[in-house]
Amino acid sequence: MKKLLSILIVLSMALAIAACSGSNNGNKPANTGGNTGGDDAAPSNAAAEEGFKDGKYTTPVTLSTVWGLNQNGSVFKEGETIEDNVHTRLIKERLGIDIKYDWVVTNTNDAYKTKLRLMLSSGEEMPDVVVYRGDLETVNMLIDSGQFMPVGDLVDQYANETYKAGLDLDPTIWLPITRDGGKMALPILDYAYNADHVMWIREDWLEKLNLKAPATIDEMETVMDAFVKGDPDGDGSANTLGLATGFKNGFSNWMTDIGFVFGAFGTMPGQWNLSADGKLEHGSINPAAKQALGKLKEWLDKGYISQDSALLDESTGAELFTKGKAGIVFGPNWLPAWPFPDLLNNVPGAKYKAYPVPAGPDGKIGSAGGNPPANGYVFINKNSEHPEAILHYYNWFFDHMANPQPGSEFEKGFAEGYDYATLPDGSITADIAKYPELFPGLKDQTAPPLYYTLTYEGARIPTLYAETHVKLAGGAEPATPYEKQEFNTRLKENTDAMKVVMDQQDIRMKNYYMGPLTETMQSKNELLNKLLNETFSKIIYGQQPVDAFDAMVGNWKKSGGEQIKMEVNEWYNSVK
Amino acid sequence: MESAINEPLKQSTSQANKQLNRSREKWSRTWPLHLMLLPAAIATFIFAYVPMSGLIMAFQDFKPYDGMLGSKFIGMEHFRFMFEYPDSKQVIWNTLIISGLKIVFGLIVPFVFAILLNEVRKMLFKRVVQTLVYLPHFISWVILGAILTDMLGSEGVVNQVLNGLGIGAIPWLMEGDWFRFTVVVSDIWQNFGFNTIVFLAALSGVNPSLYEAAEVDGATRWKQTIHITMPAMIPIAVVVGTLSLGNILNGGFDQIFNLYNSLVYDKGDIIDTFVYRTAILNGQYSFGTAVGLFKSLIGLILIVFSYRLAFKYAGYRIF
Repeated sequence: MKKLLSILIVLSMALAIAACSGSNNGNKPANTGGNTGGDDAAPSNAAAEEGFKDGKYTTPVTLSTVWGLNQNGSVFKEGETIEDNVHTRLIKERLGIDIKYDWVVTNTNDAYKTKLRLMLSSGEEMPDVVVYRGDLETVNMLIDSGQFMPVGDLVDQYANETYKAGLDLDPTIWLPITRDGGKMALPILDYAYNADHVMWIREDWLEKLNLKAPATIDEMETVMDAFVKGDPDGDGSANTLGLATGFKNGFSNWMTDIGFVFGAFGTMPGQWNLSADGKLEHGSINPAAKQALGKLKEWLDKGYISQDSALLDESTGAELFTKGKAGIVFGPNWLPAWPFPDLLNNVPGAKYKAYPVPAGPDGKIGSAGGNPPANGYVFINKNSEHPEAILHYYNWFFDHMANPQPGSEFEKGFAEGYDYATLPDGSITADIAKYPELFPGLKDQTAPPLYYTLTYEGARIPTLYAETHVKLAGGAEPATPYEKQEFNTRLKENTDAMKVVMDQQDIRMKNYYMGPLTETMQSKNELLNKLLNETFSKIIYGQQPVDAFDAMVGNWKKSGGEQIKMEVNEWYNSVK
Repeated sequence: MESAINEPLKQSTSQANKQLNRSREKWSRTWPLHLMLLPAAIATFIFAYVPMSGLIMAFQDFKPYDGMLGSKFIGMEHFRFMFEYPDSKQVIWNTLIISGLKIVFGLIVPFVFAILLNEVRKMLFKRVVQTLVYLPHFISWVILGAILTDMLGSEGVVNQVLNGLGIGAIPWLMEGDWFRFTVVVSDIWQNFGFNTIVFLAALSGVNPSLYEAAEVDGATRWKQTIHITMPAMIPIAVVVGTLSLGNILNGGFDQIFNLYNSLVYDKGDIIDTFVYRTAILNGQYSFGTAVGLFKSLIGLILIVFSYRLAFKYAGYRIF
């Protein structure tokens, strides 16, 4: 009896295994079926066109994708998730597109990038669209995977005028993703000048210590000195810093930037600058960088910047400012939307204001920026049944959300009770702290459905944002719904900061190299970056003398840097 | 797969009836047991042996879109690159030092701690301590890293205390030698609970009559520890040490990755973090595989070697 029982158990196990392997085998035919479906894409394209009538697919189509939940897009109303929320429901209803998420990760520590790369390395089948915002290496890997199609024809055929006009603003927008003349991804347009930096200063500290905002690095040192010694936070101990920094990830940063110090001496680290002789040169090995490092070392010694700067990245570095410890931080115009609300929570009554980037000893001003207005890419699977669906999707956001016309449906925002609410007198508000009852199912923060979108922020017309804010900063009354919306949802400090950016347009230093990783870069980038980062950090921390810079430059050149410089210039000559 | 499972079933039932020689008889008694082993064997084969075919990448110029079969073979190129890479020597050296210290102190600390804990007669206290020291083992380094960065920063709790005592702040995470120290100590703090439990288990197996006899002979507590407790723990310590030797080239990626920064590259960069930056971040999977293979080989050699030593000097067999 016992024996019989064990036989039965074993047999059922065997069956289970057989069943499992059976279903594995079952997958294969299905996959090849999908592939052949993609091979004769032309007829199915034609069918798709027929299926899209009056701005909607008559039979709903599925658009599969993968997603990394970013901090700003992970506030959901009670009961909603990224898979099912006001955005996905709206898109299904209006466009007949059913967005399906194959997987979703919380995007901390680059989890989304890591997961994408793992998918690539295991040769997994990609979803219909993959959206990526981040480093160029991953972009190249996605292109090189060969799983995605050139989009040039799709753009010509399906993109609406607004999107096309945005792309035409700066044709170099295509350079990073062009292979053999083929445009391998859709650029996600951003507001131009949106990444350009200003100097944010605690206005209340300036007032308290009776200082004026610095216009040069020298004046800035005076201000920082006062911030460190003058007890601007009034707690009776000298625990404040001049500048909030965090250079764990490099020396030209998207926030807590210190690139401006290099700019003040005429270079920009970590990128390829156009030198006087018309060639591209790496900004980190320009002799001007040595002067900048000397300056930063001096600041660290004097306590103007945090002793922990090398341990902090942009986000943790900015916390120095938002905790009320540091008085200055360099970053984009939109910091009042994030992370500055934390400052107001931590330090009630704090005031901040944007100022122009200060000038160096010779009057030089430089800050990284001025790059083509793309902040991410959409890759379309070449086997996708409806490769045009994502363009219809993007078009829809350009038509309805990017610059809504007066009286149109979305003139107030994405959805009532999510990112805005209407007050009894008819005006709109996004102030959840004051009117929590108007935002049911939400706490502390409004939900930003636009940030749930596949294109990260719906759709942005590059010039719209800057033009609007310059206009508003000049004191003009908001007229169009977009202007009203910006006026109501953005803080005055944000608007003024954009004006500061636009007044300083000519100081931006663009990264001239936009091509794929060259051969030498692939094998030597890590070695060279390590050399640069290590030496830079050690010079600033005084663990190596400033003169170690010269040895580093020699080392950089002979460890492959010279070779990379040649390759980079070859590329530059081929596209300029 | 179905046939593979059914075949022995038919064979054994039919043949066992015909012939009754000894081995066959034994087989007929034990085949259900073998059959029950089969799922585990198959799972091991699928999940441990099949992936090994991926090692082929180490000898290829692997491109994800060409796949393992389509990529070009380039022989030992990646191994050459690994040893000619200017930073390799230093990175391997860092790894050896950091994980060597971790292994040595990871043995000594729980060894001593287990002896101390064994002397505690209050059962409740013993249990509580045992659990508490084991707890950090379950905290992810992502979280621990953030906590440590905060605590050990220039104005963190630790340095505030040191400043208060007049010792002055110590650059725990920003100077190479201190970084190694921090890494080793925090790793031991996190993991010594596990080995403590192993050692305590060994101690619970010691025959109490040995202690009684020693007491009759007039041995002090200290002498009992030296002559009874410690010899009882040596074999298990040898086993634990042997097993951890295989990890000598693993410096602890999670930990270092979450703690290091460009200031401590020269003393703190280990093989795994180096591979992460060169191979994973730059998409050089082949190179990563080559390093992984190299690490496994060294690990294998060390395990075989130390196993021999353990057998020879402690008389202990693992397998």
